[in-house]
Amino acid sequence: MSFLEVKDLKVHFPSRGGILSKKIPPVRAVDGINLSIEEGQTYGLVGESGSGKTTTGRAIIGLNAITSGSVLFEGYDLAKGGRRSHLDVRRDIQMIFQDPYSSLNPKKRVLDIIAEPLRNFERLSPMEEKLRVQQLLEQVGMSPEMIYKYPHEFSGGQRQRIGIARAVALKPKLVIADEPVSALDVSVQAQVLNFMKDIQQEMKLTYLLISHDLGIIRHMCNHIGIMYKGRYVEQGTTADIFGNPQHIYTKRLITAIPNIDPLQRDKQHIYREAVREEYERAHDSYFDNEGFALPLKPITKTHLAALPERG
Amino acid sequence: MRKTYAEVPGVSIGSRSPSSWNILWRELVRDRLAFVSLLFLGIVILLVYGISFVLDQEQIVSIDLFALKKPPSAEHWLGTDYGGRDVFGQLIIGTRNSLSIGIIVTVLTGLIGVLIGLISGYFGGTVDNIFMRFVDFFMILPTLMIVIAFVTAVPKYNVVSFSLIMTAFLWMGIARLIRSKALQERELDYVQASKTLGSSHLKIMISQVLPNLSSIIIVTMTLNLAANIGLESGLSFLGFGFPESTPSLGTLVSYARDPQTLESRWWIWLPASVLILVLMLCINNVGQALKRATDARQRKG
Repeated sequence: MSFLEVKDLKVHFPSRGGILSKKIPPVRAVDGINLSIEEGQTYGLVGESGSGKTTTGRAIIGLNAITSGSVLFEGYDLAKGGRRSHLDVRRDIQMIFQDPYSSLNPKKRVLDIIAEPLRNFERLSPMEEKLRVQQLLEQVGMSPEMIYKYPHEFSGGQRQRIGIARAVALKPKLVIADEPVSALDVSVQAQVLNFMKDIQQEMKLTYLLISHDLGIIRHMCNHIGIMYKGRYVEQGTTADIFGNPQHIYTKRLITAIPNIDPLQRDKQHIYREAVREEYERAHDSYFDNEGFALPLKPITKTHLAALPERG
Repeated sequence: MRKTYAEVPGVSIGSRSPSSWNILWRELVRDRLAFVSLLFLGIVILLVYGISFVLDQEQIVSIDLFALKKPPSAEHWLGTDYGGRDVFGQLIIGTRNSLSIGIIVTVLTGLIGVLIGLISGYFGGTVDNIFMRFVDFFMILPTLMIVIAFVTAVPKYNVVSFSLIMTAFLWMGIARLIRSKALQERELDYVQASKTLGSSHLKIMISQVLPNLSSIIIVTMTLNLAANIGLESGLSFLGFGFPESTPSLGTLVSYARDPQTLESRWWIWLPASVLILVLMLCINNVGQALKRATDARQRKG
């Protein structure tokens, strides 16, 4: 039994168009994905904008309605019933949001922001609550004296730390991090990511890390899933994906990672061109008529890719 | 545990950022005109409500045949009207009635509007659709005509029932405004975050979204107060507000419909007219200052 197991998850958004608002086919934001995460590991979900990676994360935590499929968290199906019906399970799953500016209520002090989950789930006296918040602030590397400040007084990196403190306040088991650093500048990105790793070991957290940045994914994750238009194109361990990419989309993504060695620039460019040519030539055989990825096929025990039929 | 904190540059730990109330207050003090207006309003309200405790409305509105159409004197500070009723007393009672109606109507429309706007904006979708069609229905009703019909049909009404009938047709504007703001707020991540943290919808609406709407609510209610007082005075002036036995600012001004009074007995209608003008200007000044305070680019303070 996996810690978190997502089976054939589909999230479709109904849409209506035209003057008579006749039904048009729904937007298939997430279209049948499977993933499983082991406790204490970090699973990376990569893809371009609109590939459905954020929707996947939001569906797992219950912010988007699941059209079909199941989300088994420690054997408990989260896809059944409404948001409030399994609150006890929900407290074990928390989220770090992408935008540190809009994810903190501008009218609330740090104390109120971090104490919000504590007030919902734990009966603490004001003194205990204040102590807990101060501990949490210290844990995320900020001064405990800052509890009476407002979010706008902090920098982006500090705000994201506050967001992380809020997410881990209930000692969750699974944390969904939706592009946690993409709104931060690069120097702060590394700081926040390393800090997320520290806190993972300290609190034995499991991460579902959603990002479009392969560098970050490589640095953080044990397992990776690559999404394209709501489906997986490739799934495997970090070594599988980076050492032996199978799908042309994955290959293109990996060649797009900039190489910092200027001497390799020409070589890299030639390689990138070759991959681009292969991508354009083989595009039709790797995707179906509507441009969606093909079903996944096993390559090794851990490695799956959406490859066309051979022969 | 690391002890190096990510410090905020330039901000000492003791200093507190100004709260939104502080910002509103600072803008009011910084804008001389608005501050004087606020002081004046406070004084007028205190005086009017204070003096009207001492005055006896029954005695003021009872007809005194020995004191018809008297000019201002020591006994009658602002003279008397054609029924021998003391104009100064009517002015005080009238201002009290007009202000009371304005305040009651503003508070009630504010409450209803915020409630409906918040619910429909926060939930959106079907809930929003149902509530907004309801609002649309009220919007197309010929408000003025219904109020006039009510006033003619009901033989006896007082300040409270008149306020209620006005409230019934005036809450839609604020409901729409709050709804549109709530629709914006609900898309922000902090609302989503609250959901993942286990807060109930009610809790999110009241303690997360509402504080972010507080400034716009204060501004609209202030500006609405002026409009509501004006509306009541207008109706009374036209003869569809209060009868002369219940003075309001509008009934005093309506004496000026008589050309003789208009020409030769200024003391009956002029003070009330000036008071309406000044009250409206003051409330508006305060409202505009508050409005500026909610937009950092327009702030003076």
